[in-house]
Amino acid sequence: MPQILPPSANLAVRLALVGALGAGPALLWLFSSLGGSSWVTRAGEAPVQPVPFSHKLHVGGLGLDCRHCHWWVETGAVAGMPSAKTCMHCHAQVFSDAAPLEPVRSAFDGDRSIEWVRVADLPDFVSFDHSIHVRKGFACVTCHGRVDLMPLTEQPVAMTMRWCLDCHRNPERYAWPVEQVFRMDWQPEGDPVALGRRLVREYGLRRPTDCSFCHR
Amino acid sequence: MAKGALAMPDAARRYWWAAFGIASVLVLVLAGSLAVLLWRGLGIWGINAPVGWGFAIINFVWWIGIAHAGTLISAILLLLRQNWRSGVHRLAETMTVVAIGCAALFPLLHMGRPWLFFWLLPYPNSMGTWPQFHSPLVWDFFAILTYGFVSLLFWYLSLLPDLAVLRDQARSRRGRIAWCLAALGWRGSARQWETHRMACWLLAGLATPLVVSVHSVVSFDFAVSLVPGWHSTIFPPYFVAGAIFSGLALLIVLVVPLRALVGLGERITESHLDAMAKVLLAAGLVVTYGYAAELFFAGYGGSPYERYALANRLSGPYAPAGWALVALNVVAIQALWFGAARRRPWRLFTVALAVSAGMWLERFLIVVVSLHRDYLPAAWGIYRPTFWDWATLAGAAGWFAWLMLLLVRFLPVMPVAAASPQREPAAGSDDTARAVHPGTRPYGLAGVFTTAGQLVEAVRRARVEGYRRLDAFSPAPVEGLPAVLGAPRVRLSPAMFAGGLAGAFGGLLLQFWSNVIDLPLAVGGKAAASWQAFVPVTFECAVLGAALGALAAMAAATGLPEPHHPVFAIPGFERASRDRFFLLIETADERFDSLRTRDFLERSGAQEVHEVPG
Repeated sequence: MPQILPPSANLAVRLALVGALGAGPALLWLFSSLGGSSWVTRAGEAPVQPVPFSHKLHVGGLGLDCRHCHWWVETGAVAGMPSAKTCMHCHAQVFSDAAPLEPVRSAFDGDRSIEWVRVADLPDFVSFDHSIHVRKGFACVTCHGRVDLMPLTEQPVAMTMRWCLDCHRNPERYAWPVEQVFRMDWQPEGDPVALGRRLVREYGLRRPTDCSFCHR
Repeated sequence: MAKGALAMPDAARRYWWAAFGIASVLVLVLAGSLAVLLWRGLGIWGINAPVGWGFAIINFVWWIGIAHAGTLISAILLLLRQNWRSGVHRLAETMTVVAIGCAALFPLLHMGRPWLFFWLLPYPNSMGTWPQFHSPLVWDFFAILTYGFVSLLFWYLSLLPDLAVLRDQARSRRGRIAWCLAALGWRGSARQWETHRMACWLLAGLATPLVVSVHSVVSFDFAVSLVPGWHSTIFPPYFVAGAIFSGLALLIVLVVPLRALVGLGERITESHLDAMAKVLLAAGLVVTYGYAAELFFAGYGGSPYERYALANRLSGPYAPAGWALVALNVVAIQALWFGAARRRPWRLFTVALAVSAGMWLERFLIVVVSLHRDYLPAAWGIYRPTFWDWATLAGAAGWFAWLMLLLVRFLPVMPVAAASPQREPAAGSDDTARAVHPGTRPYGLAGVFTTAGQLVEAVRRARVEGYRRLDAFSPAPVEGLPAVLGAPRVRLSPAMFAGGLAGAFGGLLLQFWSNVIDLPLAVGGKAAASWQAFVPVTFECAVLGAALGALAAMAAATGLPEPHHPVFAIPGFERASRDRFFLLIETADERFDSLRTRDFLERSGAQEVHEVPG
């Protein structure tokens, strides 16, 4: 009986077998790392907006307050997007005929909204309310990043459930004094841990991790 | 393609093609209904509130139950040393593996988005969530996973020597390569046979509690809930007995026609059928006891909901199904008290067919009839299966038949390795000794013997002569050969124990860490650390770990897979899987001398002596 396969077949078959056994864990690793990767979540990518609005210029340079444009944030579930009218308060005079601002002017003239593209977009099956977060000491920067440094706006971290839970479980690590939440560059004085604990006590922060708390 | 181990008469071949044709059409039906399901979603099925578990769950429980008979015959009857199993165990094991494949299909489809099935697995994900280990549905996932793996391992292990037979009889080059890879380089050495015997034995010991656990866990899917008709402590034993009942019935449904067509009458005799019929009857009586217990507890327990659920089965809108169940599962099997029904294949076939249908109806009754009227009359409703429900049911049966037909045709349904050692050698085997390349040292000398006794005697004499690097190859395990060879004992149990322990601790750690520390969620008012809920998954992980340990120990003990080995070059070695016994003395042996060793082998009764090229 002649040999059917060459000696190298032994190694090949063993490697294939180990590979088959390892394929399951390898796939799990793939799913696990793919799910939160920026390739899937698009974190750190700036979507194309009708107007190339720069937070760097308006917030970092001119020092506009967040609430100047996102004025529902303290009372509403959503922070709100500026209407054309808000823009035209200034741009009726400043850069009033700049070409990139054409969508703003035409929206204003036609009494339409500017079709902003949502940068921080949560799925519909989760309920999120801006007002409670802002009023309980969670700053804009904590979730949206340093927009005052962004020429084009992007969502710097992926808004995964694990990321939400991190703060819901450990609010003392992220809470700011409520009067500072609209600041971009506030730094705690003294021991941040002690401050966090004090704020949790003071604001009565719970650690809500029930499913139905967010998935209503 | 190699001729399968079955020599099919022409008439059988025609029936096979007819059956294969029908099965292929049904497979297309399955493919079509799956495509429609994936495209349009679960809405094409009849499920809706209040009956959210329809045909998919019925079919799942039915198929997984069928699988159990295979494990019963291959494992439990092996441990009980019931020799009648030898005629049917390969068929039963094959049925198990294919039935698990069919069963696993349904929960996946029932999820609605089967491509996200991996959400059931515990892995660090972007949601920061873990499977809810307090839920029987998660236990079920682990049970099926482990059961599928162990059954596959068991089936393949027992098939391995037969795959070597197919390799050695294959005529085309492609067939030889395929079977050579499939046989993983099995050469029938004494150590491999020893390992094989021990592994079968140990895996049988492992599979026995596993098979009991699997259908118990399936029954927990129902029994742990509060639905009247489900919430019952009799469920685990009742489900296990029902599983064996339905599986044996389907096995008989498969065996009887196969036996008639392929002429297996001498391998599967009337006394085999008789034995299977008796086990079928015994399992049926346990199931009948289960029905009686349900009636008794409903009546005696005093819960109006339970009482209504039971009455509803026999007098509600689905009463015909209820009465059909009694007729098929309880009345029909009473015929098996009589030898005339047990020993006449087609009578037995009729009873078995009735039981197969009856057990499907039982799951219909449990799933649908319990759900359609529970506590709140305002939420009552009627479940009507749609065309796609029926199409998927028929398609899955076709898929089962299709796979079984292929496996029966191309793999030996009878273990051949031990079956008929005196077969004619395949035509065209070249017995011409291959020229050994000058200058390369040969691997050894091999003597060919015609009986096992001669081989054992030759090995004994070789040991006396002082040879130590010996190996012996035989078509079937030879009693006493490992002892004469003086090889160290094969030990698989330490690796299995270590694997089992690692699996159990790993599983327990995973559950505690994920469900108590990382994501404690209150379910059913129970504490997050209620350890009782962690027992099933810990057990399944232990079995999985032990099976993996056995696999590793087998690989270490036999050196498999090793599709290339010097002994394969021995002229005529293909008969080592059929009717010849080989003794190999390696060149590496201290006492090896090509002339004297050749002389020794010839004196010991070797018919031929061949040089094994290095």
